[in-house]
Amino acid sequence: MDDILTVKNLNKSFGKNKVLKDVSFNVQPGKVVGLVGPNGAGKTTIMKAVLGLFDFQGGSILINGKGVSITKHQALSEVGALIEYPGIYPFLTGMQHLELFADDTSTDKADIQNVIDELNIGSYINRKAKAYSLGMKQKLGIALALLNNPKFVILDEPMNGLDPKATKELRNLILDLAKKGTTFLISSHILSELEKLVDEIVVIDNGKIIKQTSMEDLSDSNGNYLVLTTTNDTKAREILSAEGVTLEKSDKLKIKKTSDDQLAGLIQLMSSHNINIVDVQHEQNDLETSLLDLLDNDQVKE
Amino acid sequence: MVTLIRQELFKLMHKKSTIIGTIALLLLMTIFAVFSKLQPSFSDPKGEFIAAYGGTSWVVFFMIAACSTIVAMEFQYGTIKELLYRKYYRGEILASKWITMFIYSLYFYVLSFIFSVILKMVLFNSKFSFSDIYTNDQSVMHVTLVTYAGSFVGLWLLLSLVLLLANVFKSSAAAISVGIVGYFATSIASSLMFMLINKWEWLKWNPLNMLNLSDQLSNSTVIGTLTRLSNTELVWGNLVYTGIFLFLGYLVFRRRNV
Ligand SMILES: Nc1ncnc2c1ncn2[C@@H]1O[C@H](COP(=O)(O)OP(=O)(O)OP(=O)(O)O)[C@@H](O)[C@H]1O
Ligand SMILES: [Mg+2]
Repeated sequence: MDDILTVKNLNKSFGKNKVLKDVSFNVQPGKVVGLVGPNGAGKTTIMKAVLGLFDFQGGSILINGKGVSITKHQALSEVGALIEYPGIYPFLTGMQHLELFADDTSTDKADIQNVIDELNIGSYINRKAKAYSLGMKQKLGIALALLNNPKFVILDEPMNGLDPKATKELRNLILDLAKKGTTFLISSHILSELEKLVDEIVVIDNGKIIKQTSMEDLSDSNGNYLVLTTTNDTKAREILSAEGVTLEKSDKLKIKKTSDDQLAGLIQLMSSHNINIVDVQHEQNDLETSLLDLLDNDQVKE
Repeated sequence: MVTLIRQELFKLMHKKSTIIGTIALLLLMTIFAVFSKLQPSFSDPKGEFIAAYGGTSWVVFFMIAACSTIVAMEFQYGTIKELLYRKYYRGEILASKWITMFIYSLYFYVLSFIFSVILKMVLFNSKFSFSDIYTNDQSVMHVTLVTYAGSFVGLWLLLSLVLLLANVFKSSAAAISVGIVGYFATSIASSLMFMLINKWEWLKWNPLNMLNLSDQLSNSTVIGTLTRLSNTELVWGNLVYTGIFLFLGYLVFRRRNV
Protein backbone atom coordinates (compact mmCIF):
# COMPACT_ATOMS: atom_id res chain seq x y z
CA MET A 1 0.00 0.00 0.00
CA ASP A 2 1.17 3.55 -0.67
CA ASP A 3 2.50 5.66 2.17
CA ILE A 4 0.21 8.16 3.80
CA LEU A 5 3.24 10.25 4.70
CA THR A 6 6.58 10.36 2.94
CA VAL A 7 9.32 12.67 4.16
CA LYS A 8 12.35 12.80 1.91
CA ASN A 9 15.66 14.51 2.62
CA LEU A 10 14.05 17.21 4.68
CA ASN A 11 16.43 19.98 5.71
CA LYS A 12 15.55 22.82 8.00
CA SER A 13 17.67 25.55 9.55
CA PHE A 14 16.86 28.32 11.97
CA GLY A 15 19.36 30.94 10.92
CA LYS A 16 22.70 29.16 10.94
CA ASN A 17 21.48 26.40 13.20
CA LYS A 18 20.83 23.23 11.19
CA VAL A 19 17.96 21.54 12.98
CA LEU A 20 16.95 18.83 10.49
CA LYS A 21 19.56 17.08 8.39
CA ASP A 22 18.36 15.00 5.46
CA VAL A 23 15.44 13.58 7.39
CA SER A 24 13.69 10.76 5.54
CA PHE A 25 11.03 8.40 6.80
CA ASN A 26 7.62 7.16 5.85
CA VAL A 27 4.35 6.24 7.50
CA GLN A 28 2.05 3.58 6.11
CA PRO A 29 -1.72 3.84 6.35
CA GLY A 30 -3.28 2.38 9.49
CA LYS A 31 0.01 2.27 11.36
CA VAL A 32 0.80 3.91 14.66
CA VAL A 33 4.29 5.33 14.37
CA GLY A 34 6.28 6.68 17.29
CA LEU A 35 8.75 9.51 16.85
CA VAL A 36 11.29 9.46 19.65
CA GLY A 37 14.52 11.18 20.48
CA PRO A 38 16.14 13.44 23.07
CA ASN A 39 15.00 16.98 23.86
CA GLY A 40 15.81 19.29 21.01
CA ALA A 41 16.28 16.43 18.55
CA GLY A 42 13.81 17.95 16.11
CA LYS A 43 10.58 16.00 16.65
CA THR A 44 8.32 19.02 16.96
CA THR A 45 10.10 20.67 14.04
CA ILE A 46 9.42 17.65 11.82
CA MET A 47 5.76 17.66 12.79
CA LYS A 48 5.38 21.35 12.13
CA ALA A 49 7.02 20.96 8.74
CA VAL A 50 4.64 18.10 7.90
CA LEU A 51 1.73 20.38 8.80
CA GLY A 52 2.99 23.11 6.49
CA LEU A 53 3.73 25.53 9.31
CA PHE A 54 7.37 26.06 8.32
CA ASP A 55 9.18 26.63 5.14
CA PHE A 56 12.10 24.28 4.83
CA GLN A 57 15.35 24.47 2.93
CA GLY A 58 15.27 21.25 1.02
CA GLY A 59 13.53 17.93 0.53
CA SER A 60 9.90 17.04 0.13
CA ILE A 61 6.89 16.11 2.21
CA LEU A 62 4.07 14.12 0.67
CA ILE A 63 0.76 13.33 2.32
CA ASN A 64 -1.21 10.79 0.30
CA GLY A 65 1.13 11.56 -2.57
CA LYS A 66 0.36 15.26 -2.53
CA GLY A 67 3.07 17.78 -1.69
CA VAL A 68 2.83 19.87 1.45
CA SER A 69 4.57 23.19 2.05
CA ILE A 70 3.87 26.47 3.74
CA THR A 71 1.84 27.55 0.70
CA LYS A 72 0.37 24.15 -0.22
CA HIS A 73 -2.18 22.84 2.22
CA GLN A 74 -4.76 20.89 0.20
CA ALA A 75 -3.36 17.55 1.37
CA LEU A 76 -3.96 18.55 4.99
CA SER A 77 -7.74 18.46 4.71
CA GLU A 78 -7.88 15.05 6.38
CA VAL A 79 -5.20 15.64 8.98
CA GLY A 80 -5.72 16.38 12.66
CA ALA A 81 -2.95 17.54 14.96
CA LEU A 82 -1.91 18.57 18.43
CA ILE A 83 1.50 20.22 18.51
CA GLU A 84 3.39 20.85 21.77
CA TYR A 85 0.60 22.36 23.84
CA PRO A 86 -3.05 22.77 22.92
CA GLY A 87 -4.10 26.11 21.48
CA ILE A 88 -7.10 27.19 23.53
CA TYR A 89 -9.18 30.37 23.50
CA PRO A 90 -9.77 31.20 27.18
CA PHE A 91 -13.02 33.00 26.42
CA LEU A 92 -14.68 29.99 24.76
CA THR A 93 -16.06 26.85 26.37
CA GLY A 94 -14.77 23.44 25.37
CA MET A 95 -17.98 22.86 23.46
CA GLN A 96 -17.59 26.13 21.56
CA HIS A 97 -14.06 25.07 20.55
CA LEU A 98 -15.45 21.89 19.08
CA GLU A 99 -18.28 23.75 17.32
CA LEU A 100 -15.80 26.27 15.98
CA PHE A 101 -13.62 23.69 14.28
CA ALA A 102 -16.27 21.15 13.32
CA ASP A 103 -16.34 20.84 9.55
CA ASP A 104 -19.76 20.18 8.28
CA THR A 105 -22.90 21.27 10.03
CA SER A 106 -24.99 18.25 9.08
CA THR A 107 -22.74 15.60 10.63
CA ASP A 108 -20.88 17.59 13.24
CA LYS A 109 -23.34 17.24 16.14
CA ALA A 110 -22.91 13.48 16.31
CA ASP A 111 -19.18 13.73 15.67
CA ILE A 112 -18.71 16.24 18.49
CA GLN A 113 -20.67 14.07 20.91
CA ASN A 114 -18.59 11.09 19.85
CA VAL A 115 -15.31 12.81 20.60
CA ILE A 116 -16.61 14.08 23.94
CA ASP A 117 -17.66 10.59 24.98
CA GLU A 118 -14.48 8.94 23.81
CA LEU A 119 -12.27 11.31 25.75
CA ASN A 120 -14.57 11.52 28.72
CA ILE A 121 -14.64 15.31 28.82
CA GLY A 122 -18.40 15.77 29.06
CA SER A 123 -18.41 16.88 32.68
CA TYR A 124 -16.65 20.18 32.00
CA ILE A 125 -17.18 20.71 28.30
CA ASN A 126 -19.58 23.59 28.90
CA ARG A 127 -17.24 25.51 31.18
CA LYS A 128 -15.00 28.32 29.94
CA ALA A 129 -11.59 26.99 28.94
CA LYS A 130 -9.68 29.51 31.01
CA ALA A 131 -10.78 27.58 34.10
CA TYR A 132 -9.40 24.27 32.80
CA SER A 133 -6.53 22.43 34.42
CA LEU A 134 -3.49 21.34 32.41
CA GLY A 135 -4.87 17.87 31.76
CA MET A 136 -8.32 19.19 30.88
CA LYS A 137 -6.80 21.50 28.28
CA GLN A 138 -4.69 18.64 26.97
CA LYS A 139 -7.76 16.44 26.50
CA LEU A 140 -9.59 19.24 24.73
CA GLY A 141 -6.56 19.63 22.45
CA ILE A 142 -6.67 15.91 21.65
CA ALA A 143 -10.41 16.16 21.04
CA LEU A 144 -9.79 18.94 18.53
CA ALA A 145 -7.15 16.83 16.79
CA LEU A 146 -9.58 13.91 16.50
CA LEU A 147 -12.54 15.99 15.39
CA ASN A 148 -13.90 15.60 11.83
CA ASN A 149 -12.68 11.99 11.57
CA PRO A 150 -9.19 12.68 10.22
CA LYS A 151 -7.41 9.88 8.33
CA PHE A 152 -4.03 10.93 9.68
CA VAL A 153 -3.44 12.27 13.19
CA ILE A 154 -0.24 13.88 14.45
CA LEU A 155 0.15 14.07 18.22
CA ASP A 156 3.12 15.74 19.88
CA GLU A 157 3.49 14.43 23.43
CA PRO A 158 -0.23 13.72 23.84
CA MET A 159 0.14 12.16 27.32
CA ASN A 160 1.45 15.43 28.72
CA GLY A 161 -0.37 16.17 31.97
CA LEU A 162 -2.78 13.24 31.73
CA ASP A 163 -3.49 11.14 34.81
CA PRO A 164 -2.98 7.36 34.63
CA LYS A 165 -6.64 6.67 33.93
CA ALA A 166 -6.81 9.24 31.15
CA THR A 167 -3.54 7.93 29.72
CA LYS A 168 -5.00 4.45 29.54
CA GLU A 169 -8.22 5.72 27.97
CA LEU A 170 -6.25 7.64 25.39
CA ARG A 171 -4.18 4.57 24.60
CA ASN A 172 -7.28 2.47 24.07
CA LEU A 173 -8.85 5.17 21.95
CA ILE A 174 -5.79 5.43 19.71
CA LEU A 175 -5.56 1.66 19.32
CA ASP A 176 -9.26 1.54 18.56
CA LEU A 177 -9.08 4.24 15.91
CA ALA A 178 -5.96 2.64 14.44
CA LYS A 179 -7.86 -0.61 14.08
CA LYS A 180 -10.50 1.28 12.12
CA GLY A 181 -7.82 2.59 9.80
CA THR A 182 -6.66 5.92 11.24
CA THR A 183 -2.94 6.53 10.95
CA PHE A 184 -1.00 8.08 13.83
CA LEU A 185 2.34 9.79 14.17
CA ILE A 186 3.03 10.23 17.88
CA SER A 187 5.99 11.68 19.71
CA SER A 188 6.44 11.00 23.39
CA HIS A 189 9.06 10.75 26.08
CA ILE A 190 6.94 8.31 28.07
CA LEU A 191 8.45 5.28 26.39
CA SER A 192 6.75 2.71 28.57
CA GLU A 193 3.46 4.12 27.29
CA LEU A 194 4.55 4.51 23.69
CA GLU A 195 5.70 0.91 23.70
CA LYS A 196 2.13 -0.23 24.23
CA LEU A 197 0.89 1.84 21.33
CA VAL A 198 3.14 1.88 18.35
CA ASP A 199 3.74 -0.55 15.50
CA GLU A 200 6.79 1.26 14.27
CA ILE A 201 9.33 3.60 15.68
CA VAL A 202 11.40 6.38 14.14
CA VAL A 203 14.39 7.42 16.21
CA ILE A 204 15.83 10.87 15.71
CA ASP A 205 18.89 12.36 17.32
CA ASN A 206 20.40 15.74 16.65
CA GLY A 207 18.28 16.32 13.58
CA LYS A 208 19.11 13.00 11.94
CA ILE A 209 17.01 9.87 11.66
CA ILE A 210 19.10 7.09 13.12
CA LYS A 211 16.61 4.28 12.79
CA GLN A 212 13.18 3.39 11.49
CA THR A 213 12.07 -0.04 12.53
CA SER A 214 9.08 -2.07 13.58
CA MET A 215 8.69 -2.75 17.30
CA GLU A 216 9.26 -6.50 16.89
CA ASP A 217 12.48 -5.98 14.99
CA LEU A 218 13.71 -3.55 17.57
CA SER A 219 13.23 -5.91 20.50
CA ASP A 220 14.53 -8.90 18.51
CA SER A 221 17.62 -7.18 17.24
CA ASN A 222 18.92 -5.81 20.48
CA GLY A 223 16.55 -6.85 23.16
CA ASN A 224 17.03 -10.49 24.30
CA TYR A 225 19.47 -11.54 26.96
CA LEU A 226 20.32 -14.60 29.01
CA VAL A 227 21.14 -13.97 32.64
CA LEU A 228 22.98 -16.85 34.29
CA THR A 229 23.41 -17.63 37.95
CA THR A 230 26.14 -20.20 38.64
CA THR A 231 27.83 -21.81 41.60
CA ASN A 232 30.91 -19.67 40.95
CA ASP A 233 30.14 -16.48 39.09
CA THR A 234 33.67 -15.07 39.30
CA LYS A 235 35.27 -18.08 37.72
CA ALA A 236 32.49 -18.37 35.16
CA ARG A 237 33.10 -14.79 34.12
CA GLU A 238 36.79 -15.57 33.50
CA ILE A 239 36.02 -18.67 31.49
CA LEU A 240 33.46 -16.88 29.35
CA SER A 241 35.85 -14.03 28.64
CA ALA A 242 38.57 -16.50 27.73
CA GLU A 243 36.15 -18.18 25.29
CA GLY A 244 35.46 -14.81 23.66
CA VAL A 245 31.87 -14.48 24.82
CA THR A 246 30.96 -10.82 25.28
CA LEU A 247 29.39 -10.05 28.60
CA GLU A 248 27.08 -7.09 29.01
CA LYS A 249 28.00 -4.42 31.52
CA SER A 250 26.24 -5.74 34.59
CA ASP A 251 27.10 -7.30 37.95
CA LYS A 252 25.33 -10.41 36.76
CA LEU A 253 26.39 -12.75 33.99
CA LYS A 254 24.38 -11.19 31.19
CA ILE A 255 24.87 -12.44 27.67
CA LYS A 256 23.20 -11.20 24.55
CA LYS A 257 21.06 -13.92 23.00
CA THR A 258 22.14 -14.71 19.47
CA SER A 259 20.64 -18.12 18.73
CA ASP A 260 18.37 -20.73 20.24
CA ASP A 261 21.04 -23.39 20.88
CA GLN A 262 23.29 -20.87 22.55
CA LEU A 263 22.16 -21.95 26.00
CA ALA A 264 23.08 -25.60 25.45
CA GLY A 265 26.61 -24.55 24.52
CA LEU A 266 26.89 -22.43 27.64
CA ILE A 267 25.77 -25.27 29.87
CA GLN A 268 28.32 -27.58 28.29
CA LEU A 269 31.06 -25.02 28.66
CA MET A 270 30.30 -24.47 32.32
CA SER A 271 29.98 -28.12 33.27
CA SER A 272 33.29 -28.88 31.55
CA HIS A 273 34.79 -26.52 34.15
CA ASN A 274 32.78 -28.03 36.99
CA ILE A 275 30.50 -25.06 37.40
CA ASN A 276 26.80 -25.60 37.69
CA ILE A 277 24.27 -23.27 36.28
CA VAL A 278 21.62 -22.88 38.95
CA ASP A 279 19.34 -20.39 37.23
CA VAL A 280 18.75 -18.95 33.78
CA GLN A 281 16.60 -15.92 33.19
CA HIS A 282 15.49 -14.48 29.91
CA GLU A 283 15.57 -10.72 29.92
CA GLN A 284 14.01 -8.60 27.25
CA ASN A 285 15.00 -5.00 26.85
CA ASP A 286 12.20 -2.53 27.08
CA LEU A 287 11.97 0.32 24.63
CA GLU A 288 13.80 2.60 27.01
CA THR A 289 16.90 0.43 27.17
CA SER A 290 16.88 -0.27 23.44
CA LEU A 291 16.54 3.40 22.72
CA LEU A 292 19.28 4.47 25.08
CA ASP A 293 21.54 1.81 23.52
CA LEU A 294 20.75 3.12 20.06
CA LEU A 295 21.48 6.70 21.03
CA ASP A 296 24.72 5.65 22.75
CA ASN A 297 25.87 3.82 19.64
CA ASP A 298 24.97 6.82 17.54
CA GLN A 299 27.16 9.04 19.62
CA VAL A 300 30.02 6.55 19.43
CA LYS A 301 29.83 6.61 15.64
CA GLU A 302 30.23 10.35 15.45
CA MET B 1 -13.50 31.26 3.02
CA VAL B 2 -17.06 31.68 4.26
CA THR B 3 -16.29 29.05 6.90
CA LEU B 4 -13.25 31.00 8.02
CA ILE B 5 -15.18 34.27 8.30
CA ARG B 6 -17.90 32.47 10.23
CA GLN B 7 -15.25 31.12 12.61
CA GLU B 8 -13.76 34.57 13.14
CA LEU B 9 -17.17 36.12 13.79
CA PHE B 10 -17.96 33.30 16.21
CA LYS B 11 -14.81 34.08 18.19
CA LEU B 12 -15.47 37.81 18.05
CA MET B 13 -19.01 37.41 19.33
CA HIS B 14 -17.89 35.32 22.27
CA LYS B 15 -15.18 37.71 23.37
CA LYS B 16 -16.02 39.81 26.39
CA SER B 17 -14.39 42.86 24.84
CA THR B 18 -17.02 42.91 22.10
CA ILE B 19 -19.95 43.36 24.43
CA ILE B 20 -17.93 45.71 26.65
CA GLY B 21 -16.99 47.81 23.62
CA THR B 22 -20.61 48.06 22.54
CA ILE B 23 -21.87 49.08 25.97
CA ALA B 24 -18.99 51.51 26.47
CA LEU B 25 -19.69 53.16 23.13
CA LEU B 26 -23.37 53.68 23.92
CA LEU B 27 -22.53 54.93 27.40
CA LEU B 28 -19.88 57.39 26.23
CA MET B 29 -22.20 58.78 23.55
CA THR B 30 -25.00 59.17 26.09
CA ILE B 31 -22.75 60.95 28.58
CA PHE B 32 -21.51 63.30 25.87
CA ALA B 33 -25.04 64.09 24.68
CA VAL B 34 -26.38 64.65 28.21
CA PHE B 35 -23.51 67.03 29.04
CA SER B 36 -24.08 69.08 25.95
CA LYS B 37 -27.79 69.20 26.79
CA LEU B 38 -26.93 70.52 30.25
CA GLN B 39 -24.43 73.09 28.88
CA PRO B 40 -26.29 74.49 25.88
CA SER B 41 -24.09 77.58 25.62
CA PHE B 42 -21.01 75.53 24.70
CA SER B 43 -22.69 73.08 22.43
CA ASP B 44 -23.48 72.89 18.77
CA PRO B 45 -26.29 70.31 18.53
CA LYS B 46 -26.02 69.83 14.78
CA GLY B 47 -22.25 69.44 14.84
CA GLU B 48 -22.45 66.97 17.70
CA PHE B 49 -24.99 64.89 15.87
CA ILE B 50 -22.74 64.85 12.80
CA ALA B 51 -19.85 63.68 15.00
CA ALA B 52 -22.11 60.92 16.41
CA TYR B 53 -21.75 62.47 19.89
CA GLY B 54 -18.11 61.40 19.86
CA GLY B 55 -19.07 57.89 18.77
CA THR B 56 -17.00 57.68 15.61
CA SER B 57 -13.94 58.91 17.53
CA TRP B 58 -14.35 56.22 20.18
CA VAL B 59 -14.82 53.61 17.48
CA VAL B 60 -11.23 54.34 16.38
CA PHE B 61 -9.96 53.08 19.74
CA PHE B 62 -12.16 50.01 19.84
CA MET B 63 -11.18 49.11 16.31
CA ILE B 64 -7.45 49.62 16.95
CA ALA B 65 -7.77 47.29 19.92
CA ALA B 66 -9.76 44.72 17.96
CA CYS B 67 -7.41 44.74 14.95
CA SER B 68 -4.33 44.50 17.16
CA THR B 69 -5.70 41.48 18.96
CA ILE B 70 -7.24 39.56 16.09
CA VAL B 71 -3.84 38.35 14.86
CA ALA B 72 -1.73 38.72 18.01
CA MET B 73 -4.32 36.77 20.05
CA GLU B 74 -3.71 33.62 18.00
CA PHE B 75 0.00 33.73 18.77
CA GLN B 76 -0.61 34.49 22.41
CA TYR B 77 -3.02 31.59 22.93
CA GLY B 78 -1.01 29.23 20.72
CA THR B 79 -4.07 28.75 18.53
CA ILE B 80 -2.22 29.93 15.43
CA LYS B 81 -1.06 26.34 14.81
CA GLU B 82 -4.67 25.15 14.93
CA LEU B 83 -5.63 27.73 12.34
CA LEU B 84 -2.72 27.37 9.99
CA TYR B 85 -2.30 23.64 9.67
CA ARG B 86 -5.72 23.20 8.15
CA LYS B 87 -6.43 23.01 4.46
CA TYR B 88 -6.73 26.77 3.91
CA TYR B 89 -4.18 29.10 2.39
CA ARG B 90 -2.56 31.57 4.73
CA GLY B 91 -3.87 34.40 2.58
CA GLU B 92 -7.42 33.15 3.12
CA ILE B 93 -6.93 33.03 6.87
CA LEU B 94 -5.59 36.57 6.98
CA ALA B 95 -8.28 37.85 4.61
CA SER B 96 -10.99 36.27 6.77
CA LYS B 97 -9.63 38.29 9.68
CA TRP B 98 -9.64 41.50 7.64
CA ILE B 99 -13.18 40.92 6.46
CA THR B 100 -14.30 40.18 10.01
CA MET B 101 -12.77 43.46 11.16
CA PHE B 102 -14.46 45.24 8.26
CA ILE B 103 -17.81 43.85 9.32
CA TYR B 104 -17.05 44.81 12.90
CA SER B 105 -16.22 48.40 11.93
CA LEU B 106 -19.42 48.62 9.88
CA TYR B 107 -21.32 47.35 12.90
CA PHE B 108 -19.85 50.12 15.07
CA TYR B 109 -20.65 52.77 12.47
CA VAL B 110 -24.23 51.65 12.04
CA LEU B 111 -24.60 51.43 15.81
CA SER B 112 -23.17 54.95 16.26
CA PHE B 113 -25.54 56.28 13.62
CA ILE B 114 -28.68 54.64 14.96
CA PHE B 115 -27.87 55.62 18.52
CA SER B 116 -27.11 59.21 17.45
CA VAL B 117 -30.54 59.39 15.86
CA ILE B 118 -32.09 58.07 19.08
CA LEU B 119 -30.17 60.55 21.25
CA LYS B 120 -31.12 63.39 18.94
CA MET B 121 -34.80 62.49 19.07
CA VAL B 122 -34.80 62.09 22.83
CA LEU B 123 -32.65 65.07 23.81
CA PHE B 124 -32.50 67.53 20.93
CA ASN B 125 -35.62 66.92 18.91
CA SER B 126 -36.78 70.52 19.11
CA LYS B 127 -33.36 72.00 18.33
CA PHE B 128 -33.04 71.06 14.64
CA SER B 129 -34.30 68.71 12.01
CA PHE B 130 -32.28 66.46 9.72
CA SER B 131 -33.22 68.46 6.66
CA ASP B 132 -31.93 71.78 8.06
CA ILE B 133 -29.11 73.31 6.07
CA TYR B 134 -25.73 72.84 7.79
CA THR B 135 -22.97 74.12 5.48
CA ASN B 136 -22.54 74.74 1.77
CA ASP B 137 -26.25 74.31 1.09
CA GLN B 138 -26.12 70.75 2.38
CA SER B 139 -28.55 69.31 4.88
CA VAL B 140 -27.50 67.98 8.27
CA MET B 141 -28.21 64.43 7.16
CA HIS B 142 -26.20 64.84 3.98
CA VAL B 143 -23.19 66.22 5.84
CA THR B 144 -23.51 63.45 8.41
CA LEU B 145 -23.35 60.71 5.81
CA VAL B 146 -20.42 62.32 3.98
CA THR B 147 -18.55 62.75 7.28
CA TYR B 148 -19.18 59.14 8.25
CA ALA B 149 -17.97 57.92 4.88
CA GLY B 150 -14.84 60.06 5.07
CA SER B 151 -13.93 59.00 8.58
CA PHE B 152 -14.63 55.37 7.70
CA VAL B 153 -12.16 55.49 4.84
CA GLY B 154 -9.62 57.21 7.11
CA LEU B 155 -10.26 54.67 9.86
CA TRP B 156 -9.34 51.89 7.49
CA LEU B 157 -6.09 53.53 6.52
CA LEU B 158 -5.20 53.57 10.19
CA LEU B 159 -6.41 50.01 10.73
CA SER B 160 -4.45 48.67 7.79
CA LEU B 161 -1.33 50.09 9.45
CA VAL B 162 -2.33 48.59 12.80
CA LEU B 163 -2.94 45.20 11.16
CA LEU B 164 0.52 45.38 9.62
CA LEU B 165 2.15 46.27 12.96
CA ALA B 166 0.14 43.72 14.90
CA ASN B 167 1.61 41.07 12.64
CA VAL B 168 5.01 41.79 14.10
CA PHE B 169 3.95 41.40 17.73
CA LYS B 170 3.21 38.16 19.47
CA SER B 171 1.17 39.53 22.36
CA SER B 172 -2.11 41.39 22.15
CA ALA B 173 -1.15 43.89 24.83
CA ALA B 174 1.98 45.02 23.01
CA ALA B 175 0.08 45.34 19.75
CA ILE B 176 -2.70 47.44 21.33
CA SER B 177 -0.24 49.76 23.07
CA VAL B 178 1.73 50.40 19.92
CA GLY B 179 -1.50 50.98 17.97
CA ILE B 180 -2.92 53.53 20.38
CA VAL B 181 0.36 55.31 21.13
CA GLY B 182 0.96 55.47 17.39
CA TYR B 183 -2.47 57.01 16.88
CA PHE B 184 -1.75 59.80 19.37
CA ALA B 185 1.73 60.31 18.00
CA THR B 186 0.34 60.87 14.52
CA SER B 187 -2.13 63.49 15.68
CA ILE B 188 0.64 65.31 17.53
CA ALA B 189 2.96 65.05 14.54
CA SER B 190 0.39 66.45 12.15
CA SER B 191 1.11 70.16 12.75
CA LEU B 192 4.79 69.46 12.22
CA MET B 193 3.84 67.62 9.07
CA PHE B 194 1.89 70.60 7.70
CA MET B 195 4.99 72.71 8.13
CA LEU B 196 7.08 70.20 6.26
CA ILE B 197 4.51 69.95 3.48
CA ASN B 198 4.70 73.69 3.15
CA LYS B 199 8.41 73.33 2.49
CA TRP B 200 8.49 70.21 0.36
CA GLU B 201 5.33 69.91 -1.70
CA TRP B 202 5.76 66.20 -2.55
CA LEU B 203 5.43 65.29 1.14
CA LYS B 204 1.70 65.86 0.78
CA TRP B 205 1.49 62.30 -0.54
CA ASN B 206 2.63 60.78 2.77
CA PRO B 207 0.13 58.50 4.52
CA LEU B 208 -0.25 60.68 7.63
CA ASN B 209 -1.60 63.50 5.51
CA MET B 210 -4.25 61.15 4.16
CA LEU B 211 -5.68 60.79 7.65
CA ASN B 212 -7.04 64.35 7.35
CA LEU B 213 -9.72 63.19 4.94
CA SER B 214 -12.72 63.45 7.22
CA ASP B 215 -11.66 66.85 8.60
CA GLN B 216 -11.28 68.17 5.10
CA LEU B 217 -14.65 66.81 4.00
CA SER B 218 -16.49 68.65 6.75
CA ASN B 219 -14.32 71.76 6.60
CA SER B 220 -12.70 71.76 3.20
CA THR B 221 -11.56 75.36 2.90
CA VAL B 222 -9.36 75.52 6.01
CA ILE B 223 -7.78 72.08 5.97
CA GLY B 224 -7.57 71.97 2.20
CA THR B 225 -4.93 74.68 2.22
CA LEU B 226 -2.92 72.62 4.69
CA THR B 227 -3.12 69.22 3.04
CA ARG B 228 -2.77 70.68 -0.48
CA LEU B 229 -4.77 67.78 -1.86
CA SER B 230 -8.27 67.72 -3.33
CA ASN B 231 -10.96 65.57 -1.75
CA THR B 232 -10.75 63.08 -4.57
CA GLU B 233 -6.99 62.84 -4.24
CA LEU B 234 -7.36 62.22 -0.53
CA VAL B 235 -9.91 59.47 -1.01
CA TRP B 236 -7.74 57.70 -3.56
CA GLY B 237 -4.66 58.23 -1.43
CA ASN B 238 -6.41 56.60 1.49
CA LEU B 239 -7.54 53.61 -0.53
CA VAL B 240 -4.15 53.08 -2.16
CA TYR B 241 -2.27 53.27 1.14
CA THR B 242 -4.79 50.94 2.81
CA GLY B 243 -4.17 48.46 -0.01
CA ILE B 244 -0.41 48.78 0.33
CA PHE B 245 -0.39 48.27 4.10
CA LEU B 246 -2.72 45.29 3.93
CA PHE B 247 -0.56 43.75 1.23
CA LEU B 248 2.62 44.29 3.27
CA GLY B 249 0.86 42.65 6.21
CA TYR B 250 0.07 39.70 3.98
CA LEU B 251 3.69 39.39 2.88
CA VAL B 252 4.82 39.28 6.51
CA PHE B 253 2.13 36.80 7.54
CA ARG B 254 2.60 34.49 4.55
CA ARG B 255 6.17 33.53 5.42
CA ARG B 256 5.92 33.68 9.16
CA ASN B 257 7.12 30.60 11.02
CA VAL B 258 4.89 29.47 13.84
N1 LIG C 1 11.45 28.83 16.33
C1 LIG C 1 12.70 28.37 16.51
N2 LIG C 1 13.76 29.19 16.33
C2 LIG C 1 15.02 28.74 16.49
N3 LIG C 1 15.33 27.48 16.83
C3 LIG C 1 14.34 26.62 17.03
C4 LIG C 1 12.97 27.02 16.89
N4 LIG C 1 12.19 25.95 17.15
C5 LIG C 1 13.03 24.94 17.45
N5 LIG C 1 14.32 25.33 17.39
C6 LIG C 1 15.50 24.48 17.60
O1 LIG C 1 15.33 23.31 16.86
C7 LIG C 1 15.81 22.19 17.57
C8 LIG C 1 14.74 21.13 17.58
O2 LIG C 1 13.63 21.57 18.32
P1 LIG C 1 12.32 20.72 18.48
O3 LIG C 1 11.33 21.56 19.18
O4 LIG C 1 11.95 20.15 17.17
O5 LIG C 1 12.82 19.56 19.45
P2 LIG C 1 11.99 18.34 20.03
O6 LIG C 1 12.59 17.12 19.47
O7 LIG C 1 10.54 18.54 19.80
O8 LIG C 1 12.34 18.46 21.57
P3 LIG C 1 11.45 18.17 22.86
O9 LIG C 1 11.56 16.73 23.15
O10 LIG C 1 12.11 18.98 23.92
O11 LIG C 1 10.06 18.63 22.57
C9 LIG C 1 16.22 22.69 18.93
O12 LIG C 1 17.63 22.76 18.94
C10 LIG C 1 15.64 24.05 19.04
O13 LIG C 1 16.51 24.89 19.74
MG1 LIG D 1 8.90 18.94 21.06
